[in-house]
Order: sequence, then C-alpha cells, then structure tokens
Amino acid sequence: MKRHVSTAAVLAALALGVSACGTGSGGSAPAGDGGASGSSGGGGGDVPSVAFVPKLQGVPYFEAMNTGGQAACEEIGCEWLYQGPVEADAAAQSDVVRSFVQQGVDALVVAPNDPDSISPLLQQAADAGIAVATSDTDAPDSVRQVFVEQASTQGIGEGLTDALMEAMGGSGKYAIVSCGETAQNLNSWIEVQRSYTAEAYPDAEIVDVVYAGEDQARATQLATDLMNANPDLTGLVGECTSSAPGVAQAVRDAGRTGEVFTVGLGTPQAMLPYLEDGSSSAAILWDVEALGYLTAYAGTQLAAGEGFDDLSAVTDTYPDVTYDDATKTLLLGPPLRITADNAGDYDY
Amino acid sequence: MSAAAPAPPRGSAPRRAAGGGRVLPFPVTGQELVLVGVVAVLWVVLGLATPAFLSSGSIVPLLVATAPIALIGIGVTVVIISGGIDVSVGSIVLVCAAVAATAMTASGLPLVPVLLLSVAVGGLLGLVNGVLVAYGRVHAIIITFGTLNIFRFVGLQVFGGSTIDGIPPVLAVFGRGEAGRTLGVPHSFLLVAVVAALAWVALRHTAGGRHYYAIGGDAQAARLAGIAVRPRVLLAYVLTGLLTGLAACFVIAQGTSTLAPNVGLGLELSAIAAVVIGGTSITGGRGSVLGTVLGALLVQTVASGIIQLGWPSQLSSLFIGVFIIVAVGVDLLRQRRRRSA
Repeated sequence: MKRHVSTAAVLAALALGVSACGTGSGGSAPAGDGGASGSSGGGGGDVPSVAFVPKLQGVPYFEAMNTGGQAACEEIGCEWLYQGPVEADAAAQSDVVRSFVQQGVDALVVAPNDPDSISPLLQQAADAGIAVATSDTDAPDSVRQVFVEQASTQGIGEGLTDALMEAMGGSGKYAIVSCGETAQNLNSWIEVQRSYTAEAYPDAEIVDVVYAGEDQARATQLATDLMNANPDLTGLVGECTSSAPGVAQAVRDAGRTGEVFTVGLGTPQAMLPYLEDGSSSAAILWDVEALGYLTAYAGTQLAAGEGFDDLSAVTDTYPDVTYDDATKTLLLGPPLRITADNAGDYDY
Repeated sequence: MSAAAPAPPRGSAPRRAAGGGRVLPFPVTGQELVLVGVVAVLWVVLGLATPAFLSSGSIVPLLVATAPIALIGIGVTVVIISGGIDVSVGSIVLVCAAVAATAMTASGLPLVPVLLLSVAVGGLLGLVNGVLVAYGRVHAIIITFGTLNIFRFVGLQVFGGSTIDGIPPVLAVFGRGEAGRTLGVPHSFLLVAVVAALAWVALRHTAGGRHYYAIGGDAQAARLAGIAVRPRVLLAYVLTGLLTGLAACFVIAQGTSTLAPNVGLGLELSAIAAVVIGGTSITGGRGSVLGTVLGALLVQTVASGIIQLGWPSQLSSLFIGVFIIVAVGVDLLRQRRRRSA
C-alpha cells in the first residue's frame, strides 16, 4: 500500500509541476526582456503609462510591435510597458495582465490568446479605472474601448487566398495549418478564406484545417502529414508566423517545391530563404512596427479620455489609418504582400 | 518491500543462467511486445486506410519526428529507473539549440564542432542536475523543476528577445529532407537505434547498468549492498544531458531556418510520456529503453495517423492521455500482483 501512496504522490507532484510550468513561466516572465515594467511602479509620472501584453514575448512579431510602441511613446509622450508570457498560453497571459492591473497602469492593451478568458480581466481593469483596449487580436464581447486592427479581416483572408490562388493557377485542393485553436483573429481569417475561396475560386477547395500551436516543428510535421493524406494537394497556408515557414520547410524537405505552393502570415526575415527558393510564394503581413505605434497611440488617447475623431497625430506618419465608430476599431490599413523582392526591406 | 539484492525487478519469472548464477529478466518484456504489436497493427491499418501512410515520404518524416523524443527518452528512462526524474530536458534543448544555432549563424561553425558543442553544453547542464540531485538530498522533481526555470532563463538570454534567423543547413543531415537519409534510412533515427541498443546492453548486461535498477528499487538497500549510489545517479543525469544536447541538433534540423525562443517548450512531457507508455515504472526500479523508443514511436504514429485520416488534430491529445493512463494502470496492477504473489 505504501508503494501505491508514493506512486500517487509522484504522479501528483508531476502533474503539479506540469501545470505549474504553464503558469510559472508566465509569472517568471521578467526573466525575458520585459524589464521595463519595473520602472512603472506607481505610474504616477506626468505622462500616461500604456501597458501592452502580447500573446507571447520573444518572437520577432511582437518584438517588432514593441519597437514601434517605444518609438511612438518617445514621439507622443507616454510610458511604454511591454510584458507577455513566454508561451502563447491564456493562463500565463492572465497572470501578466493581473500584475499590470495591480500596478495601476493608465491604459492596458492586450493581444489575447483566448478572448473569453481575458474578458473578465478587462472588466476588472476597467472597474479599477484603467482604460482598456485590444490590439492584434480582438476580444469582441469584452469591455474594451477600442480594437487596434492590423488590417481588416476581410483584407487578410482575401490577400492570403489571392496570393495562393495566383500560385496554384486558381484551382486545386489546399489545406491550412493554423496555430492556437482559440485565437480569434486566426479563426476569423480562416472563415474569410473559406467563404472567399468558395465564392471567387469555385474550382478550389479547402480540404482540412489543422492546429499546430506556436510550434514550428509540429507545423512542419502536420504539413508533411497533410501532403501524404492528400496526394493531390497543391497548396498549403501557414496561418501564423511559426507555421508559415513551417509549411514551406515541409514542401522543401519533401522535394515538392513547384508542385505544392505555400503562402502564409510570416515575418519577412524568417520567410526570406523560402521566398528565395520558391517553397513559399508569398507572405501576407502588415507593417508590424506601425501596428505597435498605433497601439501606443490608442492607449495614450484613451488614457487621456480622448476619442479617435481626430487622427491627425498618426495620419502624418501612417496615412491609411482609419477609425470605425460602429465597431470601435482603429484600422492600420490594407495588408502588405511580401515576396522575395521586398522581404529584405524589413529588419524583423 | 524486499531488501538487499540488486536483483531483477521484472515481474515475470526470472531466468537463471546455467553456470554463473546471474539472474536476468527476459530480453523483451511483455509491455514491449504489446507495443510492437500495437504499432504494427496501427501501421498496417493506417497503410490500408490512408493513401500514403506506408510510403517513404510519410514513414521517414515520422521516424525523424520521433528521434529527438526517443533520444531524450532514453536518458530519462535511466533517470526514472534510478528512482529520479528530469523535467528540465525541454529547457536543456532550449539552451543547446540556442547555442548551436548561434554558433552556426554567427561563426559559421561546421557540422562536427556544432554537434560536439551542443552535446558538451547538454552534458554540462546535466552535470548541474546530477550534482544537485545526487548530493542535494532533495527530490529530483524539485531540483529539476528549479533548473527547468533557470536553464530557460539562460536560454532566453542567448536569444536576447528575438529569433535566430538564417540558420545555415549544416544540420540537414538529421533533417527529414533528402540530405537526412542514406538508402532511405534517416540518420537521426539510425543514431537513436544505435544509442538505444548500447543503452539496452549496458542496462541489462553490465553491473553498472543493473545498479540503476537496484538504486531505484531501494536506494538504502543498494547502498548497503556496496553500490556507489551517488556517482551512479550523477552519471544518469549527465547522460541525459548529453543525449538531450544531441537531440537539440535534431530539433534544429527538423525546424525551419529560423529558431524561435519557444523551442523545447513542453518537450519534457513528451519524453516522460514516451517513457511511461514504454512500460517504465514512474516510481523507479523497472523499465527499459526499448519500451521508451517504442512509446515515442507510438505517440508520433498516432499524431501523424490522425492527420492522415483527416480526423481533428485535437484527438491525438486524447489518445496519448489514454495510453499514459493505461500504461500506468498496467504498471500498478503488475506491482500489486507481484506483492501478493
């Protein structure tokens, strides 16, 4: 019997360790480069403090947003705080959000991993008098005052589909390797891809949508499995920055460059080698630093109690920015198509 | 609990060699045979039910994807047999992969030095674990949970808040592409087979190897029987670190030319799952590396099979969970039967 008890104890400890890993890594996130949060303390300076919580930190995408946010705060006068979990995990992210609420920042902007679990926290923040917003990914049923959107859902979904269809010749079977299953932005792009493909390219068909998390190796393996499952597959879409190079790598490894075409939402530097050898046809993205800039601007406006009727402070720098009052959405502009020719122009 | 002898801990009747009086378990355990059967049946069924499961374009990537988990799992098996556990291996992968990728990208280091560097870094981190566990008198799960976080910190410093882009294809010899195989056999899995065979012989046929079972069965009794428990335990963690360092090179090889700082995250769970499914007792004293390799193969077979069948990808979590619980349940039943026998 004693042995049983010890077995159970070890397993319980293991489970505890495991679950602690998830949240623990979020809690211990100051290990990363989010040291800036230390200085915020009371946040009682004369400039408003704007805290941005990315889905995860340490990936080039959100680091580029961080760069843009810092630049904006230097220009328009705000204190930029950047901290996120080390993995794209809703619970770990909630811990970071909670700590910002306790710090009493002036504005809190989140790119939620899971909109449903972040909503009550945004409510808490709003109750504490903090201006709340979402950026990059929306939490539509929350109390957020504005959503800073990189490009319209329609624009991205259609941009991805058009780029892939150009490579596939307008017809054929393709599959999507997505990332987090609950990520609101990815799922809404996929919805547009489904409906736009059916409507604009009747000879094309989406055969499967699979989810790899933010894991490159898993995205690559899933893409390989999809090619084996569907021998007549001629297209793959990598729906996020880890799966976009992942699906291209799978096509390259299978020696099927030129037979199976890929597009994805990839960052320019990571996609460059694949765009150059043709295993990726195009990456669809937006100016990520500009998105960070707009995020900091939005937070500052909200903290000051201002709305978005007058956008002249940003349209000097980013002329395509628009605001839609009905959906409370601040839109950066149309998406960019990144190819072998212009990928080198971006340093992230 | 029976005391002293560093005896065979296997459930089935031990075999006594003719002259020497050496007592050894059967070469292949029941659980391993079951796993071979399950994997074989799955491969046949999937071969029939899907268009290309048994083609080389499917089996080679499957073996390549299995390799790092199996390799780490071999080390973790030895650790678990000795009564310990190592949950820091995912973070060791992070550090080794970051160092190796930086060395290739920034300094243009060629293949062999990269491998040596990564294995050496892994061994060093394993040494840290080993010293703390063997001499620290705190349970291994606590120590390695601590080092998991510390190593992660170290790894993230190497990344410096960014990804490592433009990694040259130096490690393509371990990838799933054309350069990664000879006569159709992937190099990474070949290496796993060699390491597994060596570990199997060492655990079964050398005194040092048998000592791990004795230590895991009852460390106090093992010490009284004259086994140098601490150096043995230390060595198990160093070995795991070395193998994890090599596995980090496999991980780079099967990723893209960009390495992200979430590399290795959660890998310890995959490795422990393979070990447990392979029939190694989580409480120590019993287990085999062949089972671990088969366990890793089963997990990847299920993950790939589900996609190739066109089923929802979430199902693989369900199946892996069921396998773990069945394997642990079988282990508990075996213990109960032995005690009442």
